[in-house]
Amino acid sequence: MFLGIDIGSSSSKAVIINTQLKILGKAVVNTGAGTQGPEKAVEAALREAGLSREEIKFSVVTGYGRITYDKADKQITEITCHARGAAYMMPGARTVIDIGGQDAKVIRLDKNGKVENFVMNEKCAAGTGRFLEVMARILDCGIENLSTLSDNANEEIIISNTCTVFAESEVISQLAAGAKRENVAKGAHKAVAKRVAGLGSRIGLTPDVVMTGGVALNKGVVAALEKEIGQKITVVENPQIIGAIGAALYALEISSKLQ
Amino acid sequence: MNRIKEIISALEQTANHPAKAVKASMQETGKKAVGCFPYYTPDEIIYAAGMLPVGLWGGQTDIKLADKYLQSFCCSIMRINVEQGMKGMYDFLSAVVIPTYCDTLKCICDNWQVAVPQTYLIPMVYPQHRKIAAGMIYLIDEYKRVQKEFETIAGKKITEKDLEDSIALYEDYRKTMQYFTALVSKYPITLNAKTRHLIIKAAYFMDKGLYTAKVKELMKELKKLPEEKLDGIKVVVTGILAETDALLDAFVQNQMVFVADDLAQESRQFRTCARSTGTALERLAYRIADHDGCSLLYDEEKKHGQLLIDLVRENHADGVVVCMMKFCNPEEFDYPIYKKELEAAGIPMLYLEIEQKMDSAEQIRTRIQSFAEMIK
Repeated sequence: MFLGIDIGSSSSKAVIINTQLKILGKAVVNTGAGTQGPEKAVEAALREAGLSREEIKFSVVTGYGRITYDKADKQITEITCHARGAAYMMPGARTVIDIGGQDAKVIRLDKNGKVENFVMNEKCAAGTGRFLEVMARILDCGIENLSTLSDNANEEIIISNTCTVFAESEVISQLAAGAKRENVAKGAHKAVAKRVAGLGSRIGLTPDVVMTGGVALNKGVVAALEKEIGQKITVVENPQIIGAIGAALYALEISSKLQ
Repeated sequence: MNRIKEIISALEQTANHPAKAVKASMQETGKKAVGCFPYYTPDEIIYAAGMLPVGLWGGQTDIKLADKYLQSFCCSIMRINVEQGMKGMYDFLSAVVIPTYCDTLKCICDNWQVAVPQTYLIPMVYPQHRKIAAGMIYLIDEYKRVQKEFETIAGKKITEKDLEDSIALYEDYRKTMQYFTALVSKYPITLNAKTRHLIIKAAYFMDKGLYTAKVKELMKELKKLPEEKLDGIKVVVTGILAETDALLDAFVQNQMVFVADDLAQESRQFRTCARSTGTALERLAYRIADHDGCSLLYDEEKKHGQLLIDLVRENHADGVVVCMMKFCNPEEFDYPIYKKELEAAGIPMLYLEIEQKMDSAEQIRTRIQSFAEMIK
């Protein structure tokens, strides 16, 4: 059995696969690097798979917290693992857009699913899950309900500030002036979409475009991004664990080569 | 091997402790020192005056005072230089030469006289149109003007022979460094990215003649050893500079070898040699005219991209690493042009946005590692 662990900034994911590439166990825990999150995710995935740690033949860790995690056999970056996971789940994918809690990345794949180029934004919260968390807090709505809220929008409010901190002030002013929460939610989705589309344009967005990462669960963002890039986006099943799936696939591959 | 380690260690110490090294050099040679802001300055004339040209390439100083004169969104090297000047760290220099290759440098030139009044300023304006006769006439006039300044500071007249001897010494340095950078692919373990950088950087803080002799000795010792094999990734690195330790360590950890560079702090200083004919000042001027592929020197034909492609091909490199100095307009304006050319040539590129002070290197490390995984 092979274990892939993805330790992100806001969540930890674990996936266990067998040699037939079947997912035996998976888990997402909403705490990330520097917490007990990674271990909890591994334990939960093992429980689901009905396995003990000793039955894991090889493990790969990826994500922001990979360097300090010392219980895996190898560490590989999230660019490589997300690409591998997305290419496996969606053969034919040529562009992977991954929006996480604290960063956004766009990865271009060649026709064989190998990374050809990538671009990341990890310094600025704009265009990441963090921006949506801030907006959700101001709108007094759970992050998981932001998309449903925006479904009832009858107008798109433009959030002109790119910076999350300034955007927060701008949104508060708009709400104070009577703007509808639904419309602001839609505006927040568009703001993320514009930022990520801009990032992606630096390496080009070749179809088929797939989306991974936690923000892919937000249908409002996906729709806004589709409109922004002018292309269909396929959200991979279980988008949050794609990095961990990629890591598990690499665990299997590396282990086979070592034999 | 011991002698190699000794020389490398000494040069690394020099690069890591510039002020100490310059003061030691001043004591050793009995010479005054003149600070030289990036990027190209009349070092040969300073040397001909019997003084030490000292490179001022920022450092790891925290910014407190420089905010008075420079906004946060400008080149970190220059902000740190101003900070160091205002803190009195340049007080031992007899003067500072500030050329005006970009808007930030122009502003610093204006502000220096009030921000750092204790350190005498010699501004120098290089021509934009450096390939036309008028540009050369103008540049030679500028050289004559600053020559008088250096003569006053040094208290001696600079003769044509002084200039020719100085140019000969600097040309020897340039040729030596060209051989050195070419040697890296043969000794990629000993001359890893970090060591290579520190050896090159040490040149700014020592007497050039003494430095060149040291590098020649190092190369002679290295060539006695068998070539080193490393299953690494060969890259050409471009930008203003590739520092700090955290950045260079990430390259070393990912077995990336700098088989060539197009860095303003490194090869751009020595890849173009002076012509062999003309007066000394004409030779200095025409060296600037002949130096192409640098974002800081106006190039109508935009040869930067082709230069990078040629470096990749000649050195069998796997890709290009762009170390984009944050807020550097000249470099940022060149990037889209050469990016397109490199992509058309099928050359993989890694883009890193860097600053002089990078307190968190994790993001950089992830990008470098991802690029290594992509290439392998």
